[in-house]
Amino acid sequence: MRTASLPVYLVMVQKELLELVRSFKLLWVPLVFVLLGIMQPVSIYYMPLLLESAGNLPDGTVIDIPMPLGSEVLAQTLRQFGTLGMLILALASMGVVSGERNSGAASLILVKPVSTLSYIGSKWTSMLLLTWGSLSAGYLASWYYTGLLIGEVAPGEVLGSLLAYGLWLSFATTMTLLFGTMLRSPAAAAFSSLGLSAALSLLSGLFPKQLGWNPGALSGYAYQLAADGVRNPDKLWWAVSATALLIALALAASAALLGRSPAVD
Amino acid sequence: MTALLQVKGLAKSFGAVHAVKGLDFAIEEGRCVALLGPNGAGKTTTIRMITGLLKPTEGQLRFSGTGSSGDERRLIGYLPQSPAFYNWMTGFEYAVYAGRLCGLPAKAARERAKELMALVGLSGAAERRIGGYSGGMKQRLGLAQALMHRPKLLVMDEPVSALDPLGRREVLELLRELKRETTMLFSTHVLHDAEELCDDVIIIRDGQIALQGRVAAIRAEHRSPVIELRLERDAASERWLQSCETHFGDAAGEPAGAGLIQAIHVQDGSVRFTVREVDAARQLLLERLAKDRIKLTRLEVGHSSLEDLFMKVVTA
Repeated sequence: MRTASLPVYLVMVQKELLELVRSFKLLWVPLVFVLLGIMQPVSIYYMPLLLESAGNLPDGTVIDIPMPLGSEVLAQTLRQFGTLGMLILALASMGVVSGERNSGAASLILVKPVSTLSYIGSKWTSMLLLTWGSLSAGYLASWYYTGLLIGEVAPGEVLGSLLAYGLWLSFATTMTLLFGTMLRSPAAAAFSSLGLSAALSLLSGLFPKQLGWNPGALSGYAYQLAADGVRNPDKLWWAVSATALLIALALAASAALLGRSPAVD
Repeated sequence: MTALLQVKGLAKSFGAVHAVKGLDFAIEEGRCVALLGPNGAGKTTTIRMITGLLKPTEGQLRFSGTGSSGDERRLIGYLPQSPAFYNWMTGFEYAVYAGRLCGLPAKAARERAKELMALVGLSGAAERRIGGYSGGMKQRLGLAQALMHRPKLLVMDEPVSALDPLGRREVLELLRELKRETTMLFSTHVLHDAEELCDDVIIIRDGQIALQGRVAAIRAEHRSPVIELRLERDAASERWLQSCETHFGDAAGEPAGAGLIQAIHVQDGSVRFTVREVDAARQLLLERLAKDRIKLTRLEVGHSSLEDLFMKVVTA
């Protein structure tokens, strides 16, 4: 059985990707990220113009907003991804396990010689591909427009912050998958994972010294990487390792949970 | 004959509810076995334990011929009561997917899927999305996907219960053909289906086996003569009918009629006597009717059906 599990896993990943295509998730999720990414530099560039045309300012008002640095705009883009983007990803991935379990489709798959780890793993792989694809598309679009309208940013900074932020979103997606396996209701799963992510970010913001190693700190490091470099790189590596470890644990826990009760009808 | 599956002391409880309380049975290779019982008897729970979807609280399942792989799921094809697929897939894609999950290479899976879709009569709808399939089509697709890897044991949970008479006919015909190739176990609460299709029945009630054996043997063994009387519906006859049980309850105690009448079942306007010996019982009844001047409209001698036996077993 061990020898056969890799091809089976690949077949399942193919199926998940086909589902992403047929459900148009592969279209609209990256599209939202691209729109979010473009909006940030464009709205900053046109801010004075917008204010002027708002019309309720007295004649002769001088609007003088200092143009931010390109790297600052990129950091702001990441903040957009952290709110709206993360919500979209949670919505897209909240039902991938619980939906199939509730309908009974999962039990039809799990009676076949398939391990629960392949099942969870295939869903995780496809959701991660969606996450990284969308984030990269959105961030690169933002980078391009920032370069055009505001100012060049070095590719190194972009890449570093993209990787850190991608890891953070991967963590959030994995948590959605874990909660989606644990809970029957997809909405509850999305809510739990968003809540957990918000709580972790908040905690690492409040106690950066003590909790700087937790996954929630990754978003902060990503902003720093984009804007002006990380202040304490040691903690960043701690956070990266902790996140990777937690993702692995969450996957193992999801597979074990699913193995205990493959179907819930 | 070798037992393909040996079940010993299989039990499952959900908290304080004991859904299945220790089943022992064997499924022999090449036979068709019906798991029969009223709703809530524990049929689905048993089926799900056999397929590995539920872990038994106690007891064991032993499959012969698991080989070195050790994964008995390879041996089983499973069709649940109302199979759920991915609605965005086509029927053909799903069948291929099911085959590939069981380890078939892509080309072999496509060939087998084509063959099975034709067998279940879905060739015309193979390229349509499953979302648009009817209940009967889904059931047939469920059969096709369960057979992709040529399982040794086909396990089905109420395969025809949710279907209309036409769909039911189709699926039963299909099962009759499949019977020649594989061993089958299916659950049903419809006695007729079991009788029509199966070699063996296992009747369960409240999570326990009430009766098991070959259909023919059970029929022969438990067949007893039945005398049915129908009376006119005047007051005297109604009274006689009501007091029937006491009359013949006594008669059973008399030396001449000891144990002659085994059961009495009164239904409006008629009464059924399950008897040990027809001639003596008929004599006894006729004498009694003449003596009490009862207006008889019909007297019929026959045999109890499997249906009667089923009712007796599950309501006892």
